[in-house]
Amino acid sequence: MKPYIRLATEADLESIMTLEHASFPRDAWPHESMLFELNANHTRYFVLFDDPSETSLKAYAGLSKLPDNFSADVQTIAVDPAARGQGFGRQLMERLLTEAVNLGATEIFLEVRADNPVAQNLYASLGFDHIDTRKRYYQPDDVDAWVMRLTLNASATKQPLVLGIESSCDETGVGIVRGNTLLANVISSSMDLHSRFGGVVPEIAARAHLEALQPTLEKALQEAQIDLSELDAIAVTNGPGLAGALMVGVGAAKALAVATGKPLYAVNHLVGHVGVDVLERGELELPTIALLVSGGHTSLLKVENLLDNVELLGETIDDAAGEAFDKVARLLGLGYPGGPVIDEAAKTGDPKAIRFPRGLSLPKDMEKHRYDFSFSGLKTAVARWVEVKEMNNEEVPLNDVAASFREAVVDVLVTKAVNACIDHNIPRLLLGGGVVANARLRELAQEKCNEHGIELRIPAFSLCTDNGAMIATLGAQLVMAGRKPSSLSFGANSTLPVTTVQTA
Amino acid sequence: MILAIDTSAGTSVALIENGEVRAEANFEDNMRHAEVIGEAIEKVLAEAFVKPEQINVVVAGRGPAPFTGLRVGIAAATMFAAGAHAKLFGAVSLDAIARDELTRGENHLLLVTTDARRKEVYWALYEGLDSDGVPNRIEGPQVAKPQDLEELLKERGLDPVRAQAKMSATQLGLLAYDLQKAGRLNQDTTALYLRQADAVEPNPNKRFGKPVSG
Repeated sequence: MKPYIRLATEADLESIMTLEHASFPRDAWPHESMLFELNANHTRYFVLFDDPSETSLKAYAGLSKLPDNFSADVQTIAVDPAARGQGFGRQLMERLLTEAVNLGATEIFLEVRADNPVAQNLYASLGFDHIDTRKRYYQPDDVDAWVMRLTLNASATKQPLVLGIESSCDETGVGIVRGNTLLANVISSSMDLHSRFGGVVPEIAARAHLEALQPTLEKALQEAQIDLSELDAIAVTNGPGLAGALMVGVGAAKALAVATGKPLYAVNHLVGHVGVDVLERGELELPTIALLVSGGHTSLLKVENLLDNVELLGETIDDAAGEAFDKVARLLGLGYPGGPVIDEAAKTGDPKAIRFPRGLSLPKDMEKHRYDFSFSGLKTAVARWVEVKEMNNEEVPLNDVAASFREAVVDVLVTKAVNACIDHNIPRLLLGGGVVANARLRELAQEKCNEHGIELRIPAFSLCTDNGAMIATLGAQLVMAGRKPSSLSFGANSTLPVTTVQTA
Repeated sequence: MILAIDTSAGTSVALIENGEVRAEANFEDNMRHAEVIGEAIEKVLAEAFVKPEQINVVVAGRGPAPFTGLRVGIAAATMFAAGAHAKLFGAVSLDAIARDELTRGENHLLLVTTDARRKEVYWALYEGLDSDGVPNRIEGPQVAKPQDLEELLKERGLDPVRAQAKMSATQLGLLAYDLQKAGRLNQDTTALYLRQADAVEPNPNKRFGKPVSG
């Protein structure tokens, strides 16, 4: 099986440190230094596994690139001593070089032990030249360091720089990517403004988008350290979502495209949620089943090809899962948004205390709605249950209700998603959307996926919620595939089907 | 060079240079702002052979308007200014209508009204042009039922001329030109809705006699 590489997170620290000690027994970096490196803004660390369930870390490497500097440095690279000779080091190095180019580096440096010809040969074969020697650099071994340098041919390998604008619900997002590399992901949420209404109010969301546009754009440009003139393309969500909210982004993106003379790509919000995975993994493993769950969507997709073949297997026939959380939280007087408050209340509750119904899971429903969801009946069931307790003057066990409700939602979501994987013989499941923040959803999905040998992918939370980076990413994929830009006449389409990845 | 964008009614875009209209584009359909805004801007630039970087002032019509479309124009103006490195300003759309009327006739008391939907109108009252040639708004913009507005005028013994002109970005751009000359351009581009967003706060315990305990 082909090894795969993804961006490292703090959660990888322990396994990285184990490998660090195995690889550099005499001069391993301290725990705190590695943690700093993993979390620093100017570094990118990658981990390599030889199996999708990430049983054991085989190699890792880190890159440093300061925003104002045109040179990058290889900070470290280590391959499990037992896994050497399989090309893992080369693959990681190639990933670092792409990343360095995408971050704007024109040259890259590294130091290697003078007594390590195997590594020196690898770097030389990648084009690095030995330009200097630092005497007795490695202590306590008293070994010299070779300084090696590679001039990066930016024009030949540089991937497209794309800015994405997202405004389909209550988050104004501007993201900037270079190919598969994330440069900025700025989100301005109007969530607080909706809180007293217990759900997203479309007009309030649309008003907030207009106010947030300019500052969000400025911040993203600053974060990515680029000027609009450097862009290769602009991408914008044109659906599905709230019509009034979408229109703000569409109008903004069109004017920005005309003002800068850049090509514009109108892309599908839901497909953006799927495509975002390339930012962490460098590529999307396909085919995959994708479960997208948010306050506005509950969709199960089969993705054979990100740009040409996305199929909607099923979706909610009434409330979105996130909406159900909001409504039940309100019913229980827990506040808004519902996801986190129910998660919190459920911590000390018994998920099996009350057997709430699993929507569209009965045999007769499964015939017609095998992959569809329904949460409206569940919400009513919770309301009835609480009402009866109230009428009988009994205390409502809030934590049990929260835990049992959450279990009912999560159970249906995961069961149907896993069914889809099994039915279609696709051993991959990708989660996306804001409800992914729900701890129990992640936990049960992992459990069920492990049970059935399904590889589960959950992108970082900042990439799971609505954001501009996923829109930029999908735009970049279209550019790299040589697709034509959209015309300037597309509109916002609140019910855009997933089969329309790009609107012409 | 000034690019004026207004979507308080239809989609209207104009290019003004030295107080002269270089190009304009008007789409009356008030349901298709997001669809036509890009082409409208592109059209005026192409017609006048002007490059985006030649624009140094962008002015957005702030409404008032009840339509979702109002935001499309302001969003477009904001982003165009960012993309072309131009300065961004805002102006009340009703002032542009007033300018249209008042620069054609003598200085008089003028009432401008536009459709606010829900059987209401947006209105503003003007008393001729001031020394900078800018409509002198003495009241408004506000939103009212037509009969209440008539009542108010009657009470005050006012009988203004009723504006017939339609909103056009050309007038907005010319207004911006006059304001710029007088150093009075305003950077405020916030949308004038003059109404709260429709949203009802739910009663959290609507279904129950008393709050649930936990």
